[in-house]
Amino acid sequence: MLQPIPKSKFKAYLRATIKFLSSLKLAVIVILSIATVVAVGTFVEAKLDAAAARKLVYNTFWMYSVMGLLAINLIAVMVDRWPWKARHTSFVLAHIGILVLMAGSIITQRYGLDGSLRVAVGGQSQYVILPSETDVLVYTTFDGDRYTKLAEKPVDFYLNPPTAEKPMVVAGYTGEIKFVDFKPYVIPARKVTAPKELNGRRGAGLRFQIQNQNIKVNVIEWLVQLRPNHLVTHDFGPAKLHLGPAPEKGNGVNEIFFTPQAGGDLKYVVYQKDSEKPLKTGSLKEGEVFNPGWKMPIEVRALRYLPEAEEDWDLQEREAPTPLTTSAVKLTFNGQEQWLILNDTIKLFSNDIVYVVSYGNRRIDLGFPIKLTKFTMDRYQGTNKAMEYKSNVEVPDLGGHLISMNEPLKYRGFTIYQASFEENPNTGEPTASVFSVNQDPGRWIKYLGSLIISLGIIMLFYFKKKANKGKPS
Amino acid sequence: MKRLQIILLLLLSLMVCSAFAAPGEALRYLPVQNSGRIKPYDTFAKEMLEIVYGKPSFEGRGATEIILTWMLSPTAWENKKIFEVRNHEVLKALKLPLEQRYFAGQELFANEQFQMLQQELQAKRDSKEKFTPYFQALQRLENQLGVFRGIAGGHMLNIVPPKEGTTWLSVADLQGPQQEAFMGLTKSFVDYIGAIAQGVSKEQATTAGQALDESVLKFREVAKSNNPELYSNDAKINTEVHYNHFHPFRWAYILYMLASIMLLLVWSMDKPNLMKFAWILAGLGFVLHTYGFGVRMYLMDRAPVTNMYETVVWMSWGAVVFSGVLEIIYKFRVVFFAGTLGAMVALIIADSAPAVLDPSLQPLEAVLRSNYWLTIHVMTITISYAAFFLAFILGDIGLIYYIKGEEKYQAKLQIIATSVYRAMQIGIAFLAPGIILGGIWADYSWGRFWGWDPKETWALIALLGYLAVLHGRLGGWFKNFGMIAAGVITFSLVIMAWYGVNFVLGAGLHTYGFGAGGVEYVGAIVLAHFLLVVYASIVRKK
Repeated sequence: MLQPIPKSKFKAYLRATIKFLSSLKLAVIVILSIATVVAVGTFVEAKLDAAAARKLVYNTFWMYSVMGLLAINLIAVMVDRWPWKARHTSFVLAHIGILVLMAGSIITQRYGLDGSLRVAVGGQSQYVILPSETDVLVYTTFDGDRYTKLAEKPVDFYLNPPTAEKPMVVAGYTGEIKFVDFKPYVIPARKVTAPKELNGRRGAGLRFQIQNQNIKVNVIEWLVQLRPNHLVTHDFGPAKLHLGPAPEKGNGVNEIFFTPQAGGDLKYVVYQKDSEKPLKTGSLKEGEVFNPGWKMPIEVRALRYLPEAEEDWDLQEREAPTPLTTSAVKLTFNGQEQWLILNDTIKLFSNDIVYVVSYGNRRIDLGFPIKLTKFTMDRYQGTNKAMEYKSNVEVPDLGGHLISMNEPLKYRGFTIYQASFEENPNTGEPTASVFSVNQDPGRWIKYLGSLIISLGIIMLFYFKKKANKGKPS
Repeated sequence: MKRLQIILLLLLSLMVCSAFAAPGEALRYLPVQNSGRIKPYDTFAKEMLEIVYGKPSFEGRGATEIILTWMLSPTAWENKKIFEVRNHEVLKALKLPLEQRYFAGQELFANEQFQMLQQELQAKRDSKEKFTPYFQALQRLENQLGVFRGIAGGHMLNIVPPKEGTTWLSVADLQGPQQEAFMGLTKSFVDYIGAIAQGVSKEQATTAGQALDESVLKFREVAKSNNPELYSNDAKINTEVHYNHFHPFRWAYILYMLASIMLLLVWSMDKPNLMKFAWILAGLGFVLHTYGFGVRMYLMDRAPVTNMYETVVWMSWGAVVFSGVLEIIYKFRVVFFAGTLGAMVALIIADSAPAVLDPSLQPLEAVLRSNYWLTIHVMTITISYAAFFLAFILGDIGLIYYIKGEEKYQAKLQIIATSVYRAMQIGIAFLAPGIILGGIWADYSWGRFWGWDPKETWALIALLGYLAVLHGRLGGWFKNFGMIAAGVITFSLVIMAWYGVNFVLGAGLHTYGFGAGGVEYVGAIVLAHFLLVVYASIVRKK
């Protein structure tokens, strides 16, 4: 039978525990541990990137436990000094301030939102992308028009990469979709191939070349339809090339529609500028060249034509991320393997059903659209160096508003900051503005904590002065 | 007092001299548009020569002369060794001798390997990977070539304001009367340097100089008539030329050096009557230091704390202020000695390593264009480094006493340890709010209070390091030796936060201050101090 601990003994234990938890020794150990852990984090960030440092160091069990120990230590030392005297003011304030600051940070982390939102110039958007959260979504369709959601899973492949032995499995109606491999840093290159078996539900693929020796034009690209009768376009500036159904009338621009025919033929219709009527029609076979007949002297060649095309990726793996790398996950389904790139979608086919699988950053609906009416960038005189950039936006109720660097918009609980922009690499014209969107319910708590800490530091000097005055010189 | 009067007179005459230019000097004041601002030709020439040659003068001839001759007779420069290449890997790739440091354009760019290196650099650029020192060196080489060709071809010297828009017309764009006026300028320039080179009499040189000045003024009139509004910043131009030649920080460190010698005598030889001289010398140095700081502020319309060079200048200013205040309160002498000595060392380093600590005046990145926050947050953090720097210098002084013999200097060591403690307290009192202010600015302009960015993280680590020391002192584990050693050791955290994040880690959002170079020197200094602490503790135990 267990003996209840005598009250006096219990008190002694409690006192000893508090003594240890409130000890300066523990304080110094905790301070040095935090310093060490976060220092490691900065090296991880230098080697990899900020997201990796967050996942591998800052948001880990180790970091949380050492921070928890700090909180316990701070509370224990204040309990230990009870009842407080006037000379304890700065010590108590600084310690309470740190605790409040930590509480605010926890609230921010749990309930806050920090994402980015990209709006094309003249366009609008209401979806915020969360860079640190990823989901896998699986939809099915029988007829290609109506889709039903089969699965939605939050995943963290970076920390828990699937393997062939331990795959992540999504059960379909006809077999399992298995996620069997993950590569965090790859440079993908698109690869289009002919499938082993035709099923009539894939789109066609055309690899074309536009060439002119005199004016040094040489464009080689793939056009791949997502499904039969889908229209896909390549715009190379002076003309557009489409793969898909052709309209009866042209749009008054230089364009060619390539339309796949049953039986594997490829027909084309050429339209020209300022006219609705077709300029030229005909059919084209792999390897053949034709002149569209526009004023500019170019030739179009069909390098490869696949009535049914399958897309996959050639992946170049990298040790560390660069602005060109992304992550990719490998799936198997019905004995076939395929890579899926972050923020991309693939189709998997079984006899009757098509599965659409996507892997991407989580999108949050703001509940209102942000319209970008104008984007301006000022540059330092005589250079390309950005001096200031600003976005004229429109939101419901408020109407127009100007967001610039260091001047965010606060609206419906969100704060919308000017983060960066995208520009056309050839012309230098800005094409889109990127905002960072943030909701931080812990903000005022953190500010309060900061204020208390600062007060504590000021008090330290105030009391020191008093103490010095009291001393005989 | 007499000595003071002499010093004051000396200074005054120096300032007067630099205000009235000698004949032939008007060219220096010619406004040039370059890297996003209008600067005097004097600055432009100096910066361009530093990019190419690494020094502001070539074979004893000033940059203002060299740069113009690149344009007037580029072929004469083809075989002159004006391109500085320091990276051995690059030299190996170009199959050039490693022990040589300066090369002629012929050797470098006519080299078959050079084109391959350019392609290699472009491939690296396309891959968007971080540049290793080798690629940074290649990039510099490409930049050196670009600058030389840009100047030789007249595209880089933008000297006439446009009628519309903001991009100034370069020498290559000039037409009609503008071109004529510029031809006139170059003609009298050639006459002038020809006269100087031939060693003509002083009068003849003066006449040639005056002719050059006249043609510069004539050209300025023509240029101004194109767009008078854009050509009206004479006050700033004149100030900048004055700043370039006056070297206020150099005068400041000379005065600090004299002050620290006085203070050393006061402190170690016990000569208190020298104290007022120390105050006067340090005060004069401080005035010049502040003046230089103020001039930079006036020229750029912002607080000059946006790169390593500027923060070193500001930090040393803070070291003098803090040590002066502590001197007034405690009369410890040694603190003021450490402050002036430290400021002198810091200013000498800033003055002698332009490749790492870039003293040129550069426009700000877009994200930093918030004067209010920039000023408050950066200045608060870097001034805290001044207090820690003070503790560091004091620690060094303390270690020397430990090595000389602990028993003999007990009283002095007690004072030093107390001073280290005070300096650390001041540092924490600025660093903690500085970090918080950084959080507030980050929240205000990026949308997050704390993001574990390496710069902010290392500032926090430095703070935690000093907090650990203060708590250790509170717990009685750190006695005098502990405090003195901690003053030296803990400063390596500040070096990491201040220099290391930008120059070693090279990651994060604070990229605008990133640079390269000097890692081996800084690493050696840190290591040497660790060894000094170890040695002192061994000596002490004996």
